Amino acid sequence: MPSWQEFEPFIVSGLALGGVYALSGVGTVVLYQATGVVYLAFGAVGALGALIAWSLTNAGAPDWLAWLVCVLVSGAVTLAYGMVFGPPLARRDPLVKAVATLGLTLVLFGLMDLLWTTSGGQSRAITLPTDNGGFTVGQLQVTWTQVIGLGAGIAIVVVTTVFLRYTKLGTAMRAMANDREITATLGVPVRRVEAAAWLGCGVIAGVAGLLLADLVALDATTLTFLVISSLAAALIARLRSIVGTFVAAMAIGLIHDLLTPIQSLSSYRDMTPFVLAAVALLVFSRHRVISLSREEA
Amino acid sequence: MLDTASRTAAGGQRSPLRRPGRRTLTQLAVIAGLLLFAFLAIPQLLSLYYIDAMTQVAVYSVVALGLGVLVGRVGLVSLGQVAVLTIGAWVAARLLFATAQPYPLVLLEAGVITMVLGTLIGLPALRLRGLYLALITLMLAGALTVVLTTTNFPNGGHGFLGYNGSTVHIPAIRRPSIAESDPAYYRYAVVVAALMFLLVLVHIRTQPGRAWAAIRQSEPAALAAGINTTLYKLWAFALASFITGVAGGVLAGAVHYLYSITFPTQESITLLAVVLMGGAYSMWGAIVAALLLQFLPALLNNWGVSADWLTILFGIGVLQVLTTAPRGLADQVPKDLARLGRLLRGLRRRPAASGSDPA
Repeated sequence: MPSWQEFEPFIVSGLALGGVYALSGVGTVVLYQATGVVYLAFGAVGALGALIAWSLTNAGAPDWLAWLVCVLVSGAVTLAYGMVFGPPLARRDPLVKAVATLGLTLVLFGLMDLLWTTSGGQSRAITLPTDNGGFTVGQLQVTWTQVIGLGAGIAIVVVTTVFLRYTKLGTAMRAMANDREITATLGVPVRRVEAAAWLGCGVIAGVAGLLLADLVALDATTLTFLVISSLAAALIARLRSIVGTFVAAMAIGLIHDLLTPIQSLSSYRDMTPFVLAAVALLVFSRHRVISLSREEA
Repeated sequence: MLDTASRTAAGGQRSPLRRPGRRTLTQLAVIAGLLLFAFLAIPQLLSLYYIDAMTQVAVYSVVALGLGVLVGRVGLVSLGQVAVLTIGAWVAARLLFATAQPYPLVLLEAGVITMVLGTLIGLPALRLRGLYLALITLMLAGALTVVLTTTNFPNGGHGFLGYNGSTVHIPAIRRPSIAESDPAYYRYAVVVAALMFLLVLVHIRTQPGRAWAAIRQSEPAALAAGINTTLYKLWAFALASFITGVAGGVLAGAVHYLYSITFPTQESITLLAVVLMGGAYSMWGAIVAALLLQFLPALLNNWGVSADWLTILFGIGVLQVLTTAPRGLADQVPKDLARLGRLLRGLRRRPAASGSDPA
């Protein structure tokens, strides 16, 4: 067993990773609540934004413009998908909606592999200027990017909670999570609220893509399927609780990184989100209810 | 396919279970003809490159069939079937290195062991449904991919894992003595695949198939009708895992060397995409899916077209299938052809009709 000192740096990186997982997890939960779609293309959309940002900075564009374009592209792609495929699938099973987003994932994935080919072995990286700056706590080096990762996670939880609780749009979203039909009957512009949810989710995907490209790697495959890990946090919270998603994401990020110094488990650490989510799903679904109405799992 | 909207679409169709006698005979003739073509003609007609691709098609048609049973028959979506395939391939490779058992026995054992493990994966299916089941299988597949990356496939080493740590000068996974050459092994794979299709056909046409159909329509109704839904759902997972495990065994011999890098998690997603595109309801759909998944890339590779275009095509295909054609290509193409034929016939008749009409 390694000593405590060896674990310390991984607490910092684990918290940062957990923050970004929380960011994507909360984005997934909000969209699911508002539209009933588990957005499996979250990672792919973020990766697309990050790769475009990389190309822009390489072409000499200023950094802030690249980041803005990244976030906007992710938002626009997500919004476009929601507008085109949301309505025809609105009355279908949640499973069909989720599988349809896998279709978008495949399209984006193929496109990214085509345009930013990886076969040449060239590696790309996005370095945010916050990587260089930082401070030390005790003997620990903390970069601003890590602070931003954790901060973004906390911020998204606070902002979405307040947003859903106190704004008109947020109330409409919560109503739609309960029952889309009744909400529509009450005069809520359902399509417009859904559009807002799609756009918000896409923007979050863009931010998460940018942060993950810096914290983990800028690579279409890695980023696209990292969504499965962040989905685990949302699943543990049963796609319902925002605070639950945050806690789960923190736990996943911390456990994942704290396993790194332990030799025998280090190579298995990528299993953390999957194992936690699988166990959580099994425990939560001990009491099976068969219902004729909508899927409650 | 997966829910009420398409269920009514499927319900409106004539049940595929019972057909008039003449149709059955025609179908049997078509199947026999295709089998003979696949068995005798393809090894003569195609180059070694395409014969290898066709061996993969035979393997993956069985994998697609397994997923088709789960998705199309019982209504359970699994995103981890490629992970199940790797279990089969791993077990078969380990047995082939460790023992001198005849190949069919190894295939059978790989199938049975995969069946046990796959059913364990299927256990959550007893409690979870729909979306959550699909996501948990995705999680388990992701976990298995991580394990496999660490343990690697057996390559003649010692110990339980059988991995000797080296990637060069490793012995090839053996093939059956009657099928050492590529065309012979292709024929072997076709025979195994045909047997697996037969096994599934027997299931679909008998008691389990009817129980699955009832569960797919409505689980509460099936339960009320006295169907042991737990048993039959597990049965479906067992059957799908068994045939996928056997397919893994065939795959091990086909490629000679197995690497964990060839089975990334996205393969399971692509597999679901092509199965939906091919048509999860029909057994023909499994063959269409395998051709899309294995033959088309070989073709494109030969033409120098990037396989990424195929990924994009699959993505569009999934969206198209889910929004407009829930029963897939195997159902859509014959129907479209029939419609085209009717249209052409109508066009030919109309000028004649208007010519004979004095008014």
